[in-house]
Formats: sequence, C-alpha cells, structure tokens
Amino acid sequence: MAGGISITGMGIICAIGHDAAQVSESLRRGKSGIGRMRHLDTAHSELPVGELELSNAQMKAMLGQDENAIISRTALMGAIAIRQALAQAGTSSLAHRRVALISGTTVGDMDLTEHFFERMKSDDSLLSLPQSNECGQSSLRMASLCGLEDAEVCTISTACSSALNAIIIGCEMLKRDEADIVIAGGSEALTRFHLNGFNSLMILDKEPCRPFDSSCAGLNLGEGAAFVVLEKNAAKPLAYIAGYGNKCDAFHQTASSPDGDGAFLAMSEALELAGLKAEEIDYVNAHGTGTPSNDNSESAALKRVFGSNMPLVSSTKAFTGHTTSASGSIETVICLLAMQEGFVPANLGWSAPLENGIRPVTALLERRLEHVICNSFGFGGNDSSLILSRKPLDSGSAPGTDYGFETAADVLVDSAEDLSSLKEFIPMMELRRMGKLLKASHLSSLRALAAAGLESPDAIITATASGMLATSQLFLDDIVANGEQLLKPTLFMQSTHNTIGSAIAIRCRCHGYNVTYSQGAQSLEWAIRDAERQIATGKARTVLVGLYDECTELSASFARRAGLPCSPEVYARTLILKRKQ
Amino acid sequence: MDELILELKNRIIEALSLEDLTPEDIDNDAPLFGDGLGLDSIDALELIVILDKHYGIKLGSPTEGREIFKSVASIASYVAAHRSK
Repeated sequence: MAGGISITGMGIICAIGHDAAQVSESLRRGKSGIGRMRHLDTAHSELPVGELELSNAQMKAMLGQDENAIISRTALMGAIAIRQALAQAGTSSLAHRRVALISGTTVGDMDLTEHFFERMKSDDSLLSLPQSNECGQSSLRMASLCGLEDAEVCTISTACSSALNAIIIGCEMLKRDEADIVIAGGSEALTRFHLNGFNSLMILDKEPCRPFDSSCAGLNLGEGAAFVVLEKNAAKPLAYIAGYGNKCDAFHQTASSPDGDGAFLAMSEALELAGLKAEEIDYVNAHGTGTPSNDNSESAALKRVFGSNMPLVSSTKAFTGHTTSASGSIETVICLLAMQEGFVPANLGWSAPLENGIRPVTALLERRLEHVICNSFGFGGNDSSLILSRKPLDSGSAPGTDYGFETAADVLVDSAEDLSSLKEFIPMMELRRMGKLLKASHLSSLRALAAAGLESPDAIITATASGMLATSQLFLDDIVANGEQLLKPTLFMQSTHNTIGSAIAIRCRCHGYNVTYSQGAQSLEWAIRDAERQIATGKARTVLVGLYDECTELSASFARRAGLPCSPEVYARTLILKRKQ
Repeated sequence: MDELILELKNRIIEALSLEDLTPEDIDNDAPLFGDGLGLDSIDALELIVILDKHYGIKLGSPTEGREIFKSVASIASYVAAHRSK
C-alpha cells in the first residue's frame, strides 16, 4: 500500500541502556534503572530517579566534543540518540533529500539556565547562554551535533507528550510531502527545575513507582532521549506507523479527567486512522506514570476503548522513570523492540489493582505482536496515541481532500492595559492565578473566536518562543530563595509551554487537536503550516492559531546588556483559520 | 484564636492570589472547597506549604489535609493544636 509511513531507524538512551540492545536486555531481565542520583545536583537526593549512568563529560567524549564545551544534557542525549537512529536507517545520502528534525522537549537547556541563572544577572560574559525558556535552542544544538545543519528543525512542546507529538507531526509532514525523511522524537534531562516542580505538586513517590498498583503514590522522574527515522515506502522498515491520535482532555492543567476523555479520544482516533478494531490491538504501552490521577484516568479510558477485549497492557516507567517530554519516543522505541523481538515488557512493582484499575502484565511474556498502541499524555491534557504495525495500514491522507483556507479573524493584544476587561468574561477564581501572558492570550483568543462567530474551534495550535517566561523565572527565583524547599506549586503548574494552548482548550471546551510549537522566531510559521495540514486533510474546519510571548524585567535587562532588541512586554496574536467554502 | 484566624486569612489571600477578597469576605465556617469559596487541588497544595512554612506542620499528602482544610476555623484549630512554630 503506497504512502504508509515506515520507521527505518531508532536510537535510545535512558536509565536502562545507552542503546537499543542494552535497553532490550534490561527489559528482558526485568532490570529497573530507578535508583539513587549520581549527577543531578539537588537538595532532594533522597528521591529515586531514572538517571542516565553517563556524565556530561562522557557524552561529550562519545560525540567528539571538547569537554569544556557548554552543551546542555538534553542536547547531548538527543544527539546520541539521533546518531544511533541515523546509523541504523543507513541514510548516508541525506544531502540530496529534504530532511526535517522534529524534537520534543519542555525544559530544553534548563540544566544550563539553572546552573548559570544567578550569575547571568551580573556577569555579561554569560549572556550568550540560554537565559530563558527558549526550548527550541536545544533542538538546533542537536542538529549541529549530528551534521544536520541543512535540515529543517522544529521543537514541539506539549509537556510529557512532546516526543510522541513530534513523531505524529513528522508523519503528517511526510504525507503532505513536506519532507523526504523525518527524524522525530524527544529529549529531556533531569533538572532541579522540574524535579522541584513535580515535588511541589506532591506527585513524586519516595519509593520506586508502581504504575496501576493499588498502592501507587506517584511517579519517579527519569531522563533520556529517543528518536526514530521516518520515511515513506521504505524497503525493509522496522515497523509501520499505522495510526495516531492527538486530542485534548480539556479538563485541568495538571490533573486527568476521571473518565479519561482525552485518552479515550486519542486512542479512538488512532484506531480509526489505522482502520483497526480495538480487539486487533495486541499490546498497549500505557502512559502509566504511577500517579493515582493518571492511572485511574487511563484505566477508565482503556476500559472505554477495549471493553471486555482488553489487550496486554504495561507501563515501562518503573524501568525508565517518567522521562517526561521524551517518554513518548522512548516508549515508542520500547514498543519497536517488543515487536521486533516478540516480547511484552513487564509492569514492574504491580501486585494488586486500583479499585477500578486495569491489570497489567507483571512478568515478561514472549509474544508475537502485530499491532501495538503507545500512549503518551501531558499536563494540560495534551493526550496522544500512536499505533505501530507490522503492515502498512494507514494509506496517508484520503485522496481528493486538499482544502484551502482563509483567515476568519486576526486579533492582536500587545499591551497589558487592556487586560482588566477580562473580568467580564472570566470568573475571579479562574482569573486570579493568570499572569499577563495567560490573560493576554485569553483576551486575544476570546476576541478572535467572537469575531469569527465561533464558540470553540476544531483545533488549537499555539506558537511561543519562550512560553511562560514570567512564572518560570519566578519559580527559578523560588528555588534559589527557598533552597528547594516549600516551593509554590501554582508557579510550576503554569510553567510549561503548552500551558496557554491547553488553558484556551479548557476555556472553550475544545477536545480537538492541540499542539504547541516552540522554535524561536519561526514558531508561528510552523504553527500555520500545521493548521494548513489540519484543514487541507479535512481533519479540522476551523483552527485557532496563536503566537504568545512575553518579556520580563529580567529578560529585558539581559537583552539590554547583550545589546539585543527588547521583546514587547506581552504579545498575543490569535488567528482563526477556516476552510474555504 | 481570632488573631490566628485573621492571620490565616491574610496568608491564604496572599498565597492563593485572592487579592480581590478581604479577610471579612471569607466566612470562618464556610467550606473552602467545592461549593464554598471554590478552591481547587492546587490550592490544597498551597495550604500545605502555608502550614509547613509558618507553623512547622508537615502533611504528607493533600488527602491528609481534606478534613483540616474544610474551613478557616478548622485550619485554625488544627494549627493551634499542632503548631511547632
């Protein structure tokens, strides 16, 4: 069948192995990578994590880099995984093909930022370092470390589903002939920033995590990177991507809906695209973080999708830890290994079900797998599912669907003065936590929707260079001022780049496609390209596209000292794109 | 006790970004969550931080706080009985 998207290479580095063979070996032996910290410098060394054995210096040596080079851990891990994937795909002739690197991350270069943050406030020589939330920088660095300077580079930031969404977007780009070869996945290093953030939300287990177990009490953070090489019509692929779904739970910034709406919709959409019945799925690699909120909600969603035909299910996070933005690609590679070698990895740490929970596979099973689902969900309810198959099922976009689009509204809010008028639309209890960027993005999107005569769009695609800069800097200050103790959860919960897109989805109850692009000044262009794809393929009739960024006093002072132009205090532009009649 | 109640209300208003309210707007006995003031799960985490930071009271999880956080009055009586600073 023409047009099937195939995977021709994979690379992985995480707590249970530095390449695919090591990861497979650990999975087969039931050897967890969760344990004591070796590298992360934090006051919370009591927390178990799935940390990489390798130090930054060792990874620099593997990549042939000078040991004094300043490169973030996220970029180092990512580059190692990309090189592995490219080596397996054997794509030596990249030069004559249109190559795209689509990478998912949230904290990006945060390990550098938090290391240098205090000194940057006074030392001008450090100003060239990552000083903000611009997570697109780490993807550019990975590209240059892998000889991909000529590739298109783009970063997806939908919190913990970032890497899976990067793979989905890679597939769509191939189907629309925007690239010949896509390297897609994600990378995320452990940082004080998100370790303290998850700790402030009280969702870190002080013991090794136990996904779906009646005693599950939280997650263990992990780190790592994984990438896959995607091509059309490859001769001998590792597997095919048969389907995928991206939906929004539109429920809460950090909690999952009790009935698992977003997860249910994402799995259902993936099955529909693949043309598969639920009972044809052999195995689900669950998101299964070990938090009661996720595991109860995902159990409910799995029961809604599969009913009495529950496939084999396991979460592999008790092996790797929750590798956050990288988890979607790390678990995709785990699924590929399971399909190649014919096994189902165990859900470690499980002994009894949650009250209404699913029963996962508790010991390694030898099994031939035809069709496998990989689930990946993120804060803000950015829920995605991917289906891998031995055969090419999804024939690409249906023929004849190539709709044009027009702009139904274009609303800019670029001053903080206007923002008090939001009181008319949003209750005080919801408005109280919003900083100026969230307020401006809400005001511009509510006005744009009204101008286009819409209550809710079919899809929401946001673009941002630095995301929630103000709350992220306040949280960094909170970490320094309070020595990593008793930090404000309200700040962390509003620190991810997809905070805005998911908050708009919650506001207008939009369960449709939801994704956030973060690639510096190119973010909006990427978002509009995606909107075009959604409309052209008939997946959406109306798409809300927003470019949302802000500048803080601190960032303005960095810019002044570096002799760079200052960004506006707040910038929120919302477009409503609509299918041409 | 009245002094502690007022102090708690001021701390709650500040930590939970309730600047539009005054201490008088918050009824001592009215429910803080659900149909009362309308606080949510993130607010419960902020209340845990208040108890630890200012009164040396450590709660292991929001579930432990469920009974304590019913109203400002219930928080005050718990703090009065268990404070270590």
